[in-house]
Amino acid sequence: MLKNILNKSRQVLYPVARTFTRSSNNHNAATEAVPSATEAAPPATKSTPLILPQDYAVNYSPVSRSTARQAWIENTDAVAERKVGLIELHPDVFAAQPRVDIIQENVEWQRKYRYVSMAHTKTRAEVRGGGRKPWPQKGMGRARHGSIRTPLFKGGGVVHGPRSPTTHFYMLPFYKRVLGLTSTLSVKLAQDDLHIVEGVDIPTGDAQFLKDLIAERNWGPSVLIVDEDHMFPANISQATDSLGYVNLMPSFGLNVYSMLKHDTLVLTVAAVKHLEQRLLYQLHRNDAASKGGKFKLDQV
Amino acid sequence: MAASTKLMLSTGLYQKLSQFTRKLHSQPALLSSFRSSREVQELDQYPDVEVVANPPEWRFVERLLPPATVPQPEMKQEYPSGWRPQKEDGSKSGYYVARTKNHMVPVYLHTRFRGQRRITVVRRVQGDIWSLEKDLRAVVEQSRNGKLCATRVNELSGQIHIHGDHVDILRDYLKEKGF
Repeated sequence: MLKNILNKSRQVLYPVARTFTRSSNNHNAATEAVPSATEAAPPATKSTPLILPQDYAVNYSPVSRSTARQAWIENTDAVAERKVGLIELHPDVFAAQPRVDIIQENVEWQRKYRYVSMAHTKTRAEVRGGGRKPWPQKGMGRARHGSIRTPLFKGGGVVHGPRSPTTHFYMLPFYKRVLGLTSTLSVKLAQDDLHIVEGVDIPTGDAQFLKDLIAERNWGPSVLIVDEDHMFPANISQATDSLGYVNLMPSFGLNVYSMLKHDTLVLTVAAVKHLEQRLLYQLHRNDAASKGGKFKLDQV
Repeated sequence: MAASTKLMLSTGLYQKLSQFTRKLHSQPALLSSFRSSREVQELDQYPDVEVVANPPEWRFVERLLPPATVPQPEMKQEYPSGWRPQKEDGSKSGYYVARTKNHMVPVYLHTRFRGQRRITVVRRVQGDIWSLEKDLRAVVEQSRNGKLCATRVNELSGQIHIHGDHVDILRDYLKEKGF
C-alpha cells in the first residue's frame, strides 16, 4: 500500500519524470521519450532542458532488476541552483548492490599498496660491541653468556623485530576493484551525495563563488569534482586552488578511497557517460579471464 | 686400433663436423628455411600498391575478430543444449536470480577438503532472498526423500549456500521457474 502511495505521489510531483521513465523502459524508445518530455517540461527553464535517457547499448542490458535511476542535471553558471535537465543512470553502475565488504577491501588495498613501513630494529649482529665473552664460562657463579648483545641482555639485539623497508604492496583482484567502484557510486547516489552538473565552467576564478555555491546547494563539507577531461578550465582550477576541501579529478582517476574521503561527489555529464561506458564494458567483456591472472610488475 | 682413432681425430673432416654441430647449437637458425627467401630489393623493384583505409572488404576481417563484449543470444523456440532464455522478472515471486553476463544460471559447486565438503552456491539473488531459500530448500529436501538440508544465506552479497551437491537439481528448478 505504501508503495502505491509513493508511486502516486511521485507521479503527482514529477509527472515529467514518470512518463519519461515509462517510455524509456522500452529499450528502443529513446527517440520517442525526448519529444514527449520536452513538451511537458515545466516552463521555468528558458532553454530546452537536457534530457538524457538511458538507451541501454545493445549488449549492456541491465542485470539488475531495478530500473534506471534518474538524477537532476544542475547548472554551474550561477550560485543559485537551477535544474538544467534530467539524466537516467544505468542501474548496474549506479544502482548496484552496495557491497560494503568490497568497498572496505578497496579502501584497505588503497591504503596498503603504497605504504612502506620504516620501522626498524637491530639484530644482535648489528648492535655495536658484544664480540668478546663477558666473563669466563665457569667459576664465577654466574650464568654462562657469550656476548653482551644477545637478546637476553638489556640493550641487546631484537629477535624477529620489524625490518625496514617493508612494503605492503599487493593487488586486489580486478573485478573486486570494478565492483568497488560500482558499489561506491551506488552508495553515493543512494545517500544523496552524488550530484551531476552539466559542466565545470564557472563564471569567475574567485574561490568565494565556489564557497557560496557549495553552501547554497548543501554540498560538502568536502567536494570532489570529476570531469572526463584531465585538463580543467582555468576558472575552476583557480577557484579550487586555495580550497583544500574542494578537489578536481579526471574520471579515469576516480577511485573508492577518494569518493569516500570527500563528502560530496560531483560528476559532469561527460564523466557519467565515460564511467558508465568503461564500467559496463568491464562487466560485460568477453576476455574477462585475461584480467584474472597474477599481477606482474611489468604488465601494462 | 688406438693409432687409427688418433688418425681419425686429427683429420680435417672430423674437425669441420664438430665445428658445425657447435654452430648449430649457438645459431639454431642455420637449418631453418630463413636463408632460402630472397633478400629485400629496392622499392622500385616492387609493383605499386595503394593504401586504402576502411575498404568494404574489411567487414570480412571484422567478422573473424572475436566480439569485445558478450553478445545477446539469438531467440529461438528451442536450443539443442537445453539452455533457455530468462523469462521471469521476479515480480510474481518477489525474488529474482539474475543471469551471468554469459547468460547462464548462476548456480555453482564449491568443493573444499579435497572434495569432502561440497556446497552448492546460488549467486546473484535480488529481492526476497529468504523466500527463495525456503523454496530451494524444499526442492532439495524433496529430492533427498524428506531428509533435512542445511543452508546458509548471505543477504548482503545475495548468495545462498546449500550443503551438498545439488547443482543440477537447482539449476533445472530455476530454469523451470523462468530465471
